Amino acid sequence: MDDTPNAHELSLFLASTAHDMKNSISVLSGTLERLLVAQSPESSPGTGHAYTQMAHMLYQTKRLNDNLMQLLALYKQVGKPAYPFDMQPLELGQLVDQVVALERVLLQSRGIQLELDCDPGLIWHLDEDLIVGVLSHAINNAIHYTCDRVCLAIRETDGWLELRVEDNGPGYPPSLLRAGEIATSGTAGGVNFLTNSAGLGLYFSSEVAKMHRHRGRHGALRLENGGRYGGGCFILRLP
Amino acid sequence: MNAAAPIATSTPLLSVTPAVDQIDWADKNYLVVDDFVGVRQLLRESLRSLGAKNIDQASSGGEAMGLLARVRYDVVLCDYNLGDGKNGQQVLEEARVRNLVNPSTVWLMVSAEKSVESVMGAAEHQPDAYLIKPITEGVLLTRLNRVWHKKQVFRMIDQACAEKDYLRAAKLCDAQIEVSKIHELDLLRMKARLMERSGQPTRAREVYERVLEQREYQWARAGLAKIRLANGEFEQARQAFQGVIAENRYYIDAYDQLALSFQHMGKLDEACAILERAAKLSPNSVIRQRNLGNLALKLGNMQMAEKAFRKCIAIGEYSIMKTPDAYLGLARVCGQKNDPKEALQLLLLAQREFGHEHPDIGLRAKITEGLVYHESGDYRRARKAGDELEAMLKASAERPDIPTCLELATLLFAVGVKDAPVELLCYVIRNNHDNPLLLDEVQKIFDKARMQEEGMAMIRALKKEAADLMNQGVLLWKTGKLADAVDWMRNARKLVPNNQRILFNAAQIMVSCLQQQGYDAALAAEAYEILHHVDHLLPGQQRFAQLMEQLAQLQPAQEDAAGREDADGASAGSASARTEAPSAR
Repeated sequence: MDDTPNAHELSLFLASTAHDMKNSISVLSGTLERLLVAQSPESSPGTGHAYTQMAHMLYQTKRLNDNLMQLLALYKQVGKPAYPFDMQPLELGQLVDQVVALERVLLQSRGIQLELDCDPGLIWHLDEDLIVGVLSHAINNAIHYTCDRVCLAIRETDGWLELRVEDNGPGYPPSLLRAGEIATSGTAGGVNFLTNSAGLGLYFSSEVAKMHRHRGRHGALRLENGGRYGGGCFILRLP
Repeated sequence: MNAAAPIATSTPLLSVTPAVDQIDWADKNYLVVDDFVGVRQLLRESLRSLGAKNIDQASSGGEAMGLLARVRYDVVLCDYNLGDGKNGQQVLEEARVRNLVNPSTVWLMVSAEKSVESVMGAAEHQPDAYLIKPITEGVLLTRLNRVWHKKQVFRMIDQACAEKDYLRAAKLCDAQIEVSKIHELDLLRMKARLMERSGQPTRAREVYERVLEQREYQWARAGLAKIRLANGEFEQARQAFQGVIAENRYYIDAYDQLALSFQHMGKLDEACAILERAAKLSPNSVIRQRNLGNLALKLGNMQMAEKAFRKCIAIGEYSIMKTPDAYLGLARVCGQKNDPKEALQLLLLAQREFGHEHPDIGLRAKITEGLVYHESGDYRRARKAGDELEAMLKASAERPDIPTCLELATLLFAVGVKDAPVELLCYVIRNNHDNPLLLDEVQKIFDKARMQEEGMAMIRALKKEAADLMNQGVLLWKTGKLADAVDWMRNARKLVPNNQRILFNAAQIMVSCLQQQGYDAALAAEAYEILHHVDHLLPGQQRFAQLMEQLAQLQPAQEDAAGREDADGASAGSASARTEAPSAR
């Protein structure tokens, strides 16, 4: 982004439009969550079909929100010094709490079980908003492809924090796995992410990972099939 | 690290945070500020499901201010973008400056995207947290709880800060670091700032270095650079600030400090260019626009100065931080553009707008008027302004701050007034007899007025007069005549009310009297008054921090004594070893 007056005006305009869209999406997803909680099949039987449809609407709304957030962040140049990166020490329990809170209604409405495995007292230095965004996006994605379980596991290994989102669905297609490999090897393959429909989210996540730097090391994203349920594994490693 | 305790939940509803940490949010008073009705309703619903009953709403900054003036809120959720009028940051600043919120009030700033403001650095009034939309109940609850816990950790520290007992506050930071690992970095950052405010840059540097051993935090890098700046290592400071900006382009505070480094190196063009860049990235700071305007004015870049001052006035319309400097500066620009009419209008406006908070605005406006006429070649009117200024000085014993005094003396000499500027410079010398840099400046003003010899003689005589005045008090104290020493310093203070050296020694002798003859509330109050006055003249001095701590320790035990004992125990303080003698010269 250059600093000419026009670019500045445009960015102000885009920012205010994005602000407006965010407001709309906030209301949309907030209302849907409220309706889903009120209409859960146990509390009001006979609403099964509408309930399922609403659950799908919530999933789509979350996708919309994720995409908008990611586009905005990329426009603000995630991965470059120009992005307002904001690293803070955070207890993992608080990180997980927020992700769970974001996904709670969607998980319930889809009848999917989320398993958590982490030390809530462990402190790590990260950009909370970015990582919560990446994890909830990964879980949204897992919810769509899994059979009935998703796991969020976080642990420290050899000075790295490894955050895994695993599911028991059919796993990632080979094209995405290849794209993931290229992205982690560091060659100019980020583009391959973008040719895929899931590309924006993966590209964004990979850039977020790379922004986390410590003593010459930087974070990375890896995709695998297998893990504890034999499905897709979304693996974020932060130094 | 402990072995990870797996928490497998059969339902996704469980939280991994222990329930004992949760706070009851039901009985609190809430204010929700957003210009979008849908978002207000959504937030209200979220708060209601936390049990909240008392929730007020405002759709604009102005409406929010009205409510804040009437109700003490426990929690404020405020959107940053509020359409026309005040933005969220301006609402926060005004609420804090006007004391409309308690120190315990939780202020959460909401925005649609990652805000630049959240990483800007040392903005004076920061909210307790920034939230990005969409805000869900879970995120809201997590952040509310976290801020509440943090406020508990900082409660005693903030109180010590409010009392300006910075050294006690720093010890409390040390004590909290021991028990609150998650807040270690925030506590260290606080401690470093306290050390800076106490005039102990070396100890602040140690703290920043301790942080950087853990992680590369830009605020710690910027902190180290600021210490270099304060030490006069301008080139190293410049490099360090540029390094911070290279790492994080939005760390705005580093730009302001970088501009200062350039200014100290005499590179005004570079300083101006940096401020211009910073003002582009974050245009809504009254102070930055003012600094940019002043620099551009100094450089003779009237176009840029005008733009900055006008912007400064425009933002100031909604901001508690608004400043008369922009009006005075813009009047100078108008004068140089040969438009004395608009200049005079601006000066009238400034006096109308700032008459209440700035008692010296009449004098400053008149100085600017004189400068405008003088610079535009209207020597008759300039002289008339000079005569009026002389009359104003005669009518009041109050003197403006030192830079204004020097500016005024220069102007008066230039328009041909003789006695008033000499009297004014004598005041400056008496009250700054041990500040050689300032005395050099005074001598230069004398030189320019072709009074080189007289000036030199005056400086010599007045320096001796002030030193004698002070030394006599110290001598009385040294010979054990404590009551006489206190009386003498009281009188000295009347003669030279703004001499920091004499003020510090007066306070020191009073503290010493309290230590030896027992606590006396009236004398302690007098010492506090002196110290607050000297802190107002020049903040961040080491002797201020030390004397404030000694005074606080002399005070008979109060309800918060427990906190102090904790802090002392943790750092095994040696307060008595720091008791200094008043210094003669």
